[in-house]
Amino acid sequence: MLSRVFLSALLLGIGADLEAQAQGAALRTGQAAALNDLTGYWVSVVTEDWRLRMIVPDPHDYQTLPLTAAATKVADAWNPAADQAAGNQCRSYGAAAIMRVPGRLHIYWQDDNTLRIDTDSGTQTRLFHFGGAAPRSIAPEWQGYSVASWLGQKPISTAGAGRPPSQGTRIGGQAAVERREDVAPGQGQLKAVTTRMRPGYLRKNGVPYSGDATLEEYFDRFRGPNGDTWLVVTIIVTDPQYLVEPYITNVHFKKIPDGSGWDPTPCRVDQPR
Amino acid sequence: MRFPSWCLLILFLVPARSAWAQVDLTGEWSPRKYNDHRDIGDYTGIPLNEEGRLRARSWAPNQADIPENVCRLHPPDLGYRVGPSDLSIEKELDRYTRQVIAYHIHSYWSEETIWMDGRPHPPEHALHTRGGFSTGRWEGNTLIYTSTHLKEAYLTRAGVPRSAKATVTKRITRYGNYLTMVIIVEDPAYLTEPYMREETWVNAPEQVVSPFACEPVAEGTILPAGTVPSYLPGQNDALWDFAIEFGIPPDATQGGAETTDPEYIEKMKKMKTLPRTTRTHYLRQG
Repeated sequence: MLSRVFLSALLLGIGADLEAQAQGAALRTGQAAALNDLTGYWVSVVTEDWRLRMIVPDPHDYQTLPLTAAATKVADAWNPAADQAAGNQCRSYGAAAIMRVPGRLHIYWQDDNTLRIDTDSGTQTRLFHFGGAAPRSIAPEWQGYSVASWLGQKPISTAGAGRPPSQGTRIGGQAAVERREDVAPGQGQLKAVTTRMRPGYLRKNGVPYSGDATLEEYFDRFRGPNGDTWLVVTIIVTDPQYLVEPYITNVHFKKIPDGSGWDPTPCRVDQPR
Repeated sequence: MRFPSWCLLILFLVPARSAWAQVDLTGEWSPRKYNDHRDIGDYTGIPLNEEGRLRARSWAPNQADIPENVCRLHPPDLGYRVGPSDLSIEKELDRYTRQVIAYHIHSYWSEETIWMDGRPHPPEHALHTRGGFSTGRWEGNTLIYTSTHLKEAYLTRAGVPRSAKATVTKRITRYGNYLTMVIIVEDPAYLTEPYMREETWVNAPEQVVSPFACEPVAEGTILPAGTVPSYLPGQNDALWDFAIEFGIPPDATQGGAETTDPEYIEKMKKMKTLPRTTRTHYLRQG
């Protein structure tokens, strides 16, 4: 009987602890809960996929893309003049592609729960909304609707090994209760999930993503070994219509002191940015 | 003494949650090769200096056929980026304290050990190896490690060199079923700036990483004995094929920090291109 009481208390303790953490996180605004500071001006440093990003790829160049047959068919029919005429010149500047377009970012808090990213390439604005789900009835936009959250909790007491010595005291040999705490400021990452996007282009040469696509992104800011500050974005596009598996790429940006060099461009069907 | 069935159910669920909370990097990881592919003469986006560019231009593909190169492993900074680059990550625990002593990362092309026990890097002139000597630390949920004592190798499979003086810093972050690695190469011999790349893997518990199966060849088997294929300056007849194939100004294909800046797009508009007489040539990924 005593064991039963002890076990119940233990389990209730776990539940209460986790619930308290969840409530605490929910009560804080996105800005107050920020585990990293992504704000400021950033510039693309194009060290990868240079020929796909710094020039407009040739028609039919689909190298490395996990496309369905339907996607290839659509891409083969790419007609930039028709896009221009139909007012669809921003198709290659949609949320699923915009971070790969060379250019500058300006990131700032629009309000306590909305992190805003302006891009000079294509003059686009992305809004990352904290503390809620995407509304059900919202018209699709090039940048879709992004739901954001902070990643960065670490266990502070777990049984067994696997943690480095610097992360707290191990509870020797006991089956410990899991508890977690936020990582130190500057060590967390931002996760954003974007839906409700207008159909756009993954690649400038007409490779499509559909309105059913989901964009999952992870933003990691850190200081490099030489003192430069970097923002690395892991980009995962899932599209049941045009991709046979998630399409995963990464890009990085270097922090710059101010907006000098900011060069806003309109959406252009025949230019890399 | 019997526990109620609901207790057993909760006991079953709690450890499953803990496995994620530990940010465990160990296990099997399958690559997604969507980043970058390189041809001969494609040094785009690499902050090469003149020495690095000269070495890259002298490289000939059949250098790989020299007996001492046939079974040469890639260093991790390249091996993780060229197929097959399936990863298998293990941790080594101290028998008594159960603290992590090291992580071991194995892929088809490369092996590396990341020491987590605070040991220092060896003296400068100690043994240099393909995997180098690495020490790591955690920053939040990201494993950061620095590798030195690397043998001279390549940044790409198309001959862009990386010297034995290089330091490579890697950051591994797990995002659920994804693992992202940032690779930063600093090379005072061949680069003017750190060269940064990334790669992402997907958790693949059923994966088995193949051993590196390679049979050495005897001198003279593939190439005449004593031959070291290379190009003298100005004699690499394949150097501009990449520029021709993709309609890129030749100078822009030769790398340099300036070429990584978005403003370089405008500069290229004033640069000369060569007639696009070919759309295909020798291709080597990486």
